[in-house]
Amino acid sequence: MIRVTIGVVCKEALMGRITEYYHATSLEDAFAKAQQLRPAAAYVGGGVELILRRNPEITTLIDLSRCGLDYITASGEGIEIGSQTTLTTISRSADIRKYAGGSLAWWAGRIAQNNLRDMITVGGVIGRNQPWNDVVPHLIALGAQVRLFDGAERIMPLAGYIEAKQPGVIIKGVLLPAGNAGSSGFLWRFTRTLQDISTLHFSALVSSDGKFMTAANLVFAGRPGHAALYPRLSEGLVGKSLSHETFARVAEMAPDVVEVGTDLRATGEFRRELVRAAIANLEEHMTGVAQ
Amino acid sequence: MTISITVNVVERSFDVQPDEVLLDVLRREGYLEVKGSCHSGDCGACTVLLDGRPVASCLTLAAKADGHAVTTVRGIGDQAHPHALQDAFLKNGAVQCGYCAPGAITSAKALLDENPDPTEEEVRLAMDSNYCRCTGYEQQVEAVLYAAAQLRKGDAK
Repeated sequence: MIRVTIGVVCKEALMGRITEYYHATSLEDAFAKAQQLRPAAAYVGGGVELILRRNPEITTLIDLSRCGLDYITASGEGIEIGSQTTLTTISRSADIRKYAGGSLAWWAGRIAQNNLRDMITVGGVIGRNQPWNDVVPHLIALGAQVRLFDGAERIMPLAGYIEAKQPGVIIKGVLLPAGNAGSSGFLWRFTRTLQDISTLHFSALVSSDGKFMTAANLVFAGRPGHAALYPRLSEGLVGKSLSHETFARVAEMAPDVVEVGTDLRATGEFRRELVRAAIANLEEHMTGVAQ
Repeated sequence: MTISITVNVVERSFDVQPDEVLLDVLRREGYLEVKGSCHSGDCGACTVLLDGRPVASCLTLAAKADGHAVTTVRGIGDQAHPHALQDAFLKNGAVQCGYCAPGAITSAKALLDENPDPTEEEVRLAMDSNYCRCTGYEQQVEAVLYAAAQLRKGDAK
């Protein structure tokens, strides 16, 4: 009897007390509701993270699924993905499959697992941005921007949004720039299985003319650190030949440049070796030659 | 709050708590064919179709399903009228303890509805959310490929 009572109390504390589930009908409606209740309200995307890691301060959930944010549109300026678009939908989009070699579409169809990929939304993963997130680092490498709504619309780089953390603001969409159409996206996660949380995550977007690399975004992430761009490493590639020597130089310096965080979940030393391996994998991806 | 869901083609209304998950609502309302196990979206036992797409009902807020259609394994077929997948699971030894079977068959149904001629790799990817501790997965993959072949031949419903 005592054990049952304690169990109920603990569950209640863990779950918080959600007293209202609100289906917003527009962005304006959702934002007004959130402003009225903050900080006791949270937006719901797929809802997966909200259930797994509940915040006891939240009493109202604001559902965005009826706000028209489930879309993918392609134009001369690039591709825009509505924030309520699921990973499965992204993985099946013909436009995204063609974008930067199809890396985002390929991974969106493999991250997590099948019955979660139909629930997880791109806005949800950005809003939550857990350290083990694999979508956000890749989007940052692709140079993505976010379209935000806080009474008015504005656009800012995703990397900047992640750094700034803007509670209450609604992520309306994610924009992939048009200039990357001929580039090659790359993502490498060091995990035991596809479903596993990565010990190290490495994403890149590299453009080349076949002989020289003309642009590069390199992003490292992985618990316990969040995703970060490493321009010093990019500089090691841009303007350089597409050769083993170029990648070997970057692989040599990368372990000292990348912040691998603490020794949590694999030692820092081990993670530094993974950084070197990540660059070697990028080389294989770009040159087709395994080292 | 009251939500309306079409469960196995029957329109139903349920009183739910704002943070209640679909799995708990379905089981409370008698849909015991939906199995709960990990309650963290890892095992796939609770998989149902939401508007034809597989979701982990243990992580789906019931309120989010308001106005949508849910299909459980019993909506796919039952003992009197089994679906080709259910027959195939039995014929191929893909069921032992049977606990994972409802979720596994539901995931497979979503796959075959969209892709009637999947490769083995596509079957494995479509069922990567469904743990099975008995069969070792091989028989399940074989069962789905067998069912797909039967359906293509028109030998099964």
